[in-house]
Amino acid sequence: MADKLDVKQGTLALMILRTLEVLGPLHGYGVARRIEETSKNRLSLNYGTLYPALLKLEQEGCIVAEWRQSENNRRAKYYSLTPAGRKQLAREAREWHQTADLIAAFLAPRREAP
Amino acid sequence: MKQLRAALARITGFFTGHRADRDLQDELESHLDMETDEYIRRGMDPADARRKALLSSGGIPQAAEAVRDQRSLPWLESIAADIRYALRTLRHSPAFTAVVVLTLALGIGANTAIFSVVRGVLLKPLPHKDGDRLVYLRQSTDRPGGANVLFSVPEVRDFRNAAPSFSGIAEYSPFSFTLQGKDDAVRMRAGLITGNYFEVMGLAPVLGRLTLPTDDGPGAPPVMVLTHAYWMKRFGGDSSVVGTQVRLDGAPVTVIGVLQPAPFFPDQVDALLNMVVSPHHLSAMMVEGRSHRMTELVARVAEGAGIDKARAEVAAAYARMQSEFKEAYDPGSHYRVEVIPFKDVLGERARLTLWLLMAAAAFVMIISAANVVNLTLMRGVRRAQELVVRAALGAGVSRLRRMLLAENLTLTLLGAGLGVLIAIGGLRLLVSLAARYSPRADEIRLDVVVLGFALGLAIAIALLLSYVASLPKEGSFAAWIAAGMRRMSGSRRKHRLQHGLVVAQIAVSVVLLAGAGLLTRTMIRLSQVDTGLRTEEILTMQVPLMELRSAQDPRADITAKERYERMRQEIRALPGVLEVGVGGTMPLRRSQIRFEVKAEGKSLIVGEAVPTAELRTAGPEYFRAAGVPLVQGREFASTDQAGSGKVVIINQTMADKFFPGEDPVGKRVAWTGEVLKFAPISGEWRTIVGVVGNTQDGGLDATPGPVVFLPFTQMLAVGGGLVIQAESDLSELTGAAIRIVRRIAPAAPIENVLTVAQIKDQSVSPRRLNAVLISSFGLLALIIAAVGIAGVLAFSVSARTNEIGIRMSLGADSGRVQRMVLREGGVLLAMGLVLGVTGAFFAARVIQGLLFGVAPHDPATFIAVAGLMAAIGLGACWIPALRAARIDPAIAMRSE
Repeated sequence: MADKLDVKQGTLALMILRTLEVLGPLHGYGVARRIEETSKNRLSLNYGTLYPALLKLEQEGCIVAEWRQSENNRRAKYYSLTPAGRKQLAREAREWHQTADLIAAFLAPRREAP
Repeated sequence: MKQLRAALARITGFFTGHRADRDLQDELESHLDMETDEYIRRGMDPADARRKALLSSGGIPQAAEAVRDQRSLPWLESIAADIRYALRTLRHSPAFTAVVVLTLALGIGANTAIFSVVRGVLLKPLPHKDGDRLVYLRQSTDRPGGANVLFSVPEVRDFRNAAPSFSGIAEYSPFSFTLQGKDDAVRMRAGLITGNYFEVMGLAPVLGRLTLPTDDGPGAPPVMVLTHAYWMKRFGGDSSVVGTQVRLDGAPVTVIGVLQPAPFFPDQVDALLNMVVSPHHLSAMMVEGRSHRMTELVARVAEGAGIDKARAEVAAAYARMQSEFKEAYDPGSHYRVEVIPFKDVLGERARLTLWLLMAAAAFVMIISAANVVNLTLMRGVRRAQELVVRAALGAGVSRLRRMLLAENLTLTLLGAGLGVLIAIGGLRLLVSLAARYSPRADEIRLDVVVLGFALGLAIAIALLLSYVASLPKEGSFAAWIAAGMRRMSGSRRKHRLQHGLVVAQIAVSVVLLAGAGLLTRTMIRLSQVDTGLRTEEILTMQVPLMELRSAQDPRADITAKERYERMRQEIRALPGVLEVGVGGTMPLRRSQIRFEVKAEGKSLIVGEAVPTAELRTAGPEYFRAAGVPLVQGREFASTDQAGSGKVVIINQTMADKFFPGEDPVGKRVAWTGEVLKFAPISGEWRTIVGVVGNTQDGGLDATPGPVVFLPFTQMLAVGGGLVIQAESDLSELTGAAIRIVRRIAPAAPIENVLTVAQIKDQSVSPRRLNAVLISSFGLLALIIAAVGIAGVLAFSVSARTNEIGIRMSLGADSGRVQRMVLREGGVLLAMGLVLGVTGAFFAARVIQGLLFGVAPHDPATFIAVAGLMAAIGLGACWIPALRAARIDPAIAMRSE
């Protein structure tokens, strides 16, 4: 439990979008499970974090929601990516790669100045 | 785009939130169920599975709250809740709510209404394109009637050549025409303009076209541009009028367009025409005569040039002109030219009056705000217990503050709403007032800025009310709660604040009342001014038969004079008519004709301004009909004909000026000066046959200037009207007189059919409206202040009930208690009076220009005002004092 991480602001949206891209339409529980599994259980999402993020994406037009029957016959609200969401995902992913590269370069072992 | 979409979704969420709540609960439940299923599948027993799922959820209600915050606008939700709560609280104290809302409505209403006028007339940018680059040029002298002597064409030409900072200078010459309609004739106020006028002014047509430089010169066809207001009034906004021909003074003129709505200076006009319609304006006389001044000038400061540079150029050019053409600039008269921003000149007559009204309204606002603050403070004390309970239940300072703010905002917004309604109601009256002072009166609107002003007032007062309420600091909450309400009532600081507010209310009321008193006395003095006429029951009407431009034709002049004589005789024959006279200008009206004048054998003192006199014409019966007293000599006689010896009658001022201590009858005077070259009048000597008393022709507040009357027969019949004195009711006579005029001159306009009393009343009415407005503000202030002082004392008594009870049980009789309360009020009253009278003393000096016949520090007014305030104030103190005296010590001491 001690080594669990908090979700960084702004990264959760990216994770949700990516999850929906890979798995297709999915309910909140499914998204949470997938994110926890992908993070090898280093992340845990409570409802108060997950659902506002889903609503925000919905408000921004990145995803749409719809009630459906789940595989084990429960009613659940399924979220799916919209074209705008796909574009948003591509853009954010690109930005994250750039940021990650930059940070990596900064944190690389320092070379002595000649 | 994304943010916008999200914001819209949240605003929608604010309204649809209740429905979405159900959906959210279902969704969270389904999540919980799925997770529980998963744990069961892994082998847990159902109860444990459910517990584990719940644990990892982080709390369903918390999650729901987080989602709700995201769904809508949380601050808005809480404000809505606060307002709902505020409305409920206010419903429970209807008297308090009504008094506060009404007080604020009066204050905000008065301010909103007056501000809309100030904005429309003084502040709003001009409708002209780049209106801030427009300037007005004014030439003036020290002579009587010399405040604006206009410009001559040669002067304009010199400015054009010497002031490159102007991108253009346009000429505008006031003129009037008779417009022939289908079955009537009306007088039109018009401006003759140069073709570049509209380009300089930055105005555009709403229909057709405007004049261009190609419309200048003698060869151009005569054209007319209608102003928007006249087009609506006379032609009902009919667009087919453009392109048609109308008849002006009998000659055809083509209407080429309609101008956008715009203010004119010095007066509104009906139409603008090119110069060709007046041959005189293109004659050598006009074009070459440097002292033939008939033109107003407006100019546009070029981009990149400043008004200061333009001023310097104008001043330099003017100095050159004065040294080069000495005969056109009499040094004793101090000729000068000013360059004034057009917006300022449009507002110049209104400025003092409007700022005075704005200040008065602001004072009313101060008083009503002070009252509301006091009321809220008192209510705050009574509510202390409620606040303590709320604090005990966990409301923080900021939460309490926000609750108060919501409540106060609700109050002030209600007040502002009602105030705006009051302003709408009063606007028509104010527009009619403003129209007397400014050509921009029809630009007055309750527009967004004005409504924003009302809203701003409401918010500012709400903030003020919320922050004077004392709430404890964040740390000392527990102590506050422990002390309960006792601690809150006796705060010394608040006590002083309340008293200070009462003093301010009284002081401000005194200032307002003093202003009202001075203006009212001014108005009374004005209406008491002796007009110089024997009676005010005289009917006058102007019937211009001939315009200046047809005066070249001697036959027209003879015909006109014959017609006037026929009208005179026929009206004279009506039953009840005592006398009828013909004259060029009606009594109590200013004559526009004024020339330099000299007397035989009298020379000017060196450096003295060349004297001028008004030229008026009168028939033999005019003075008797108008009731102008003959002081010396004789009236005109029917033997004073065009061909006989030239005679004049002068007024008393003229006699005093030229013949002090002498008998003027038999002496000779003559018109003189450069201007005579351009005027249809000769400079020959004329013998004085009589002296008449002065009349207030230049306005009731003006000292009468010199006047020279010529026999109607010895001067062109330009202008012209009838003066009728009768023993019967004038209103019955009017119809018959008008029918006679119509029959004799069917095409002539009949204007200003008014009795002398009505003319007098017209000249007093703007001042009356002014005085009435300030007086009603003063009265309002007085009432609010009286309520204020009574309220604060009553509160003070009720807070001291216990103390008074103790005093009484220790032997103080009711008289003593009463005196104690009265003393408290008396001190406040005295302080307020001293402050108020001092303030009024300074305020009166500011409005000196609006006063007449009364000194700004008129002792009678000041004493009366102070006495009135003291009486009302003491009366207001008496009520709580009596209540204090009736306190029963036994009950009072039990009240704690």
